Amino acid sequence: MTYATLSDRASRGGGVQRSFDRARLAQWLIFIVTAALMLAPALPILLQVFVDRPLYADGWQFTLSNIGDIVQSERIGRIALTTGIFALFSVIIAEVLGIGAALLIGRTDLPGRQIMGDVLMWPLYLSHLIFALGWVVMYGPSGFVTQTIAQQTDGAPWNLYSIAGMSLVAGISQAPLAYLYCLYGAVRSVDSTLESAARTVGAGPLQVLRRVTLPLMVPSIITSSALNLVIAVETLSIPLFLARPARIDTLSTFLYAEGIAASNPNHGLVAASSLLLMLLVGSALVVQRILLRQGHRYETVKGKGSRPMVLSLGTLRWPLALLTGLILLVAVVVPIAGILLRAFTSFLSPLVPFTKVLTLANFEHLFGNPANLRAIGNTVQISLLSAALGTVLAVAVALVIQRSSFKFAGTLEALAYSPRVIPGMITGLGIFYAAIILPPMGWLRGNIGIMVVAYVMATLPLALGVIQPAIVQIGRDLDKAARTVGADWVSSMRLIMVPLLKPALLGSFILLFVFHLKSYIIAIFLIAPGLEIMGVTMLSLWTNGDVGELAAFATLQIVMIAVLLILSRLLFKVKIYD
Amino acid sequence: MTELVLKDVSRRYGTALAIDGINLSVTDGEFLTLLGPSGCGKSTTLSTIAGLDQPTGGRISFGEQVLVDAASGTFLPPEARGFGVVFQSYALWPHLSVEDNVGMALKLRKVPAAERRARIAQALELVELGSLAKRYPGELSGGQQQRVALARAIVFRPPLLLLDEPLSNLDAQLRQQARIWLKDIQQELGLTTIYVTHDQDEALAMSDRIVVMRGGKIVQLGTPQEIYRDPIHPFAASFIGNANLLAVTGSATSHVGPCDVTLGDGQVVRARTPLADLSAGAQLLAIRPHLIRCVPTDDASEIKVEFGPESYLGDHFEQEAHVAGSTIRLSIDTPQPRGAGRIWVRAQDAVVFGVDG
Repeated sequence: MTYATLSDRASRGGGVQRSFDRARLAQWLIFIVTAALMLAPALPILLQVFVDRPLYADGWQFTLSNIGDIVQSERIGRIALTTGIFALFSVIIAEVLGIGAALLIGRTDLPGRQIMGDVLMWPLYLSHLIFALGWVVMYGPSGFVTQTIAQQTDGAPWNLYSIAGMSLVAGISQAPLAYLYCLYGAVRSVDSTLESAARTVGAGPLQVLRRVTLPLMVPSIITSSALNLVIAVETLSIPLFLARPARIDTLSTFLYAEGIAASNPNHGLVAASSLLLMLLVGSALVVQRILLRQGHRYETVKGKGSRPMVLSLGTLRWPLALLTGLILLVAVVVPIAGILLRAFTSFLSPLVPFTKVLTLANFEHLFGNPANLRAIGNTVQISLLSAALGTVLAVAVALVIQRSSFKFAGTLEALAYSPRVIPGMITGLGIFYAAIILPPMGWLRGNIGIMVVAYVMATLPLALGVIQPAIVQIGRDLDKAARTVGADWVSSMRLIMVPLLKPALLGSFILLFVFHLKSYIIAIFLIAPGLEIMGVTMLSLWTNGDVGELAAFATLQIVMIAVLLILSRLLFKVKIYD
Repeated sequence: MTELVLKDVSRRYGTALAIDGINLSVTDGEFLTLLGPSGCGKSTTLSTIAGLDQPTGGRISFGEQVLVDAASGTFLPPEARGFGVVFQSYALWPHLSVEDNVGMALKLRKVPAAERRARIAQALELVELGSLAKRYPGELSGGQQQRVALARAIVFRPPLLLLDEPLSNLDAQLRQQARIWLKDIQQELGLTTIYVTHDQDEALAMSDRIVVMRGGKIVQLGTPQEIYRDPIHPFAASFIGNANLLAVTGSATSHVGPCDVTLGDGQVVRARTPLADLSAGAQLLAIRPHLIRCVPTDDASEIKVEFGPESYLGDHFEQEAHVAGSTIRLSIDTPQPRGAGRIWVRAQDAVVFGVDG
C-alpha cells in the first residue's frame, strides 16, 4: 500500500485556515437580532408608562400619573382581583382534568383510551376563540342545550356568563396542556422499576399511583400550572365572550376595551395596566422557579425502553370509561359540533327543526366579503413566513446557547425566553409602539412585516421548546468531530447539526404554523385596513353580532387546522405536541 | 522535526483541577500513550491538544506553531490545527454515508471531486472497508464503525493522530485484533500518534512510550519496559502489573539500590529502591503477585504469612495471604493450604517507595 509514507510528510495538510472569525460574527449577529427583537417591544411600553400622552403625539412629558391612576383606581383593583380569581379557578380545573386524564389514559386499561386521548387534545389545536364560541352556541343563555333543558325545567339551568362559567371553559381548553406535561413529563417517562420497587415492598397498585407516580408528577404539575396561569391571565376571547355580557371585566378585556374599542384610547393607562399584567405573569413564573428549586428530588433515572406498568381497573373499567367519555362529549365534542351546526343554519334553536333552517348563507357571506378573503390570504402568508423565520431564528439561537462557547449564551437564553412573561396582546402593543417611535421599524408599518416580527418574537420560546430537547439528543462528539476534520463553528452547525435536526425543525415549523393560523391576540393592536387576519376578523364578527358568519369562519379554520395536522402526520410522520 | 510540546498545561473547572501542570514532548513518528484510571486527566489532556478544550494555564506548541498559550491568550481552534481525532464514541455522522463521513475533511479543504474520490477510496482500502462506502453508520458493526472513524481521521493526512480510547467499545477478541491492526497502520503511515487508554495491556503492547497519569499529573514517563520493570512511583507499580502495596518502615537512603524495610509485625524484608531520596519512617513496599514464590529461593527474604482463600483463573490460581494486618494477592500455579505458611521474595522484586503522593 502506498497510502502515505514518511517521504510525503511535507505534503501533509494541516488545518483549515480562515481569514476572519466567521463563528464569532455569526454568534454576535444572532445575539443582536434576538436582543433587538425582544427589547424593541418592551422598551416602548416602559416609556409609555411614564409619558403623559400617546407616544405618537408631540411634546410628551414624563409623568408618574399613569402609575398613580392604576394604583388609585378602584375599578382596576377589582379587575385585577377578577383576573386573579378567574386564573386560579381555571388552572385548578385544568390541572385536575389533566392529571386525571394522564393517569387514566396513560396508565390504565380504560377502554377507548387512545381515542379519548386524541379528543382531549382538540381544544389545544383550536383557539380559545373557537372554543368559547362553541360553548356560547351550545351552553350560553340562549344556547341550544341550555334552551332544550330550559323548556323542560322551566328556567335556565345554569349561567355560563359568570366567573364560574368562564373558568370552566378556560379550564377545559387548557386541560390538554396539563395532560401533555403530566403524560410525557412523568406518567410515560417514569422508570417503571421505581413503581415495581414499591410493589415489592408491599404497595398495591392504587397506593403506587398515590405514593410514587403522583409525587413524581409534581414538577410537571407545577410547570403546566405556571404556563396555564399565564395563558389564563392573557386570554381575551373567553372573558370577552362570556364575561363582558355580564359586565365582568378582566385585565385583558379592559385592555381591549381601552386600547382598541375606545374612540380615544388612553395609552398611558393601557401601558401601565400591561405592566400590571406582566407583573402578575412574572410573579407566577418566579413562584414556579422557587417551587422547582428542589427539582432533583423528583429526578427520575430513565430506564431504557422500560414499559410502564398498566394498572387494571377491574370492575371500574366500564363505568370509568363511560364517565370519561361523557365528560369529553359534553365539554369538547358538543361545543365543536355546535359550531359546525351553527355554520350551516340560519338559526339554532330546539324549537325549530334543523331541516327548516339549513343554509349555506353563512358561507356565502363569509366568502362574499373581500375583507374576509384578504384576511385568509394574509393569515396564510403571515403564518408561513413567521413559522419559517421563527424556526430559523430558534435553531440559530438554540445552537448558540447549547453548542457554542459564546460568552453571552446565558443572556441570550434569558432574552429568548423573555416572551413567556409578556402576554401576546402586549407583544402586539409593544411592536405597535415600537413601529411608531423607532425609525428602522417604521417601514414595517402597514404591511405584513410588522405581524411577522411580532409573531416570531412571541413564539420564539415555543419553537425553542421543540428544538432544544432535540439538540440535547445529539451527541456533542458529532460536532466536535466536524471541528477536528476542519469545519469551523458555522460549518459544523450547518453540515452536521442542522441536517440531524431536520425532524425537529419540521415539527417546530408545523407547530408555529398552526399556532399563527389560529392566533388573534398578538395581532389585535397591529391590524389595519387591508391588513386583516382571520382571528381578529372573527373577533370583530363577534362584536358585531354576526354569529352565523363567525361560525362559518370558525368551521373553515377548524378544517384548515385539521387538514394540516392530518397531512403532517401522514406525510412527515410529525405529531406536534409530542 | 515537528515536535509537540506541552508546557505546564493545566485545565481548571471551577475549583477542580482536571490536569495540573503537564509537561510533555512528543517526537515525530512516535506512538505515545496516556495511561491512567478514569478521571486522571488523560482525555482532558488529549482534548487540549486537539483544541476541543481550552487549557486555563500553560502552553502547547507544534513545531514552530503555538497552538495555545494561556498567558498570551493565543488559541487556535480545532479546525485550524488539522489533527486527526478518533473519538471513543466514534462520533460518526449518522446522516452521512461512510464515504461522505470520510470525505467531509476533503470537501472542507476544497479538494477537487476526482482527487477526493480517489483519496476516500484509498483511506477506506487502508481500513479494509472499501466495499461499504455507500453504507450508513447505523448499518455497520462496532468494529466497522471504529475503522470508519479511523479512516475519517487520517484521510486528510494529518501530522498528528489523536485517539481517545478507540477500542474500549469493542469486545475483548476484536480489541486484540484491532490493537495489532491499528499499530500496523500507524507504523505504515509513520504517523505521530497520541493514544488515550485505561487498559494497561493495550498501552504495553502498542506504545513507544507510556505516560502514566493520576489526579491530573504525570506519575511516570518511559518505554513500556521501563514502566513495567522499574516503576518509580507506587501508583505506577500498582496500576501496571497490579503490584501489592504494603505499609512498611525503613531508614533514609540517599542512593538508588538495596535497602531493608520492616513490616508492621517486625519481619524484615531485603528490598531495593529506585529513588535517591527516600526519607526515613513510613514507606511503601511493592511486590508483584507473580513474583512471590512459595518455595525457598536464593537471595530471597522469607516472610511468614497466613494463607487465605484462592480462586481458580484458568491458567493459574490467585490466592490471598495476610501479613501484618494487610492482604496481598499471590499468582501461583498450585494453591497453598490455608493457615500459617511462608513465602519468599527476592530483593530485586521488592521495590520500596516513599508514601508521599
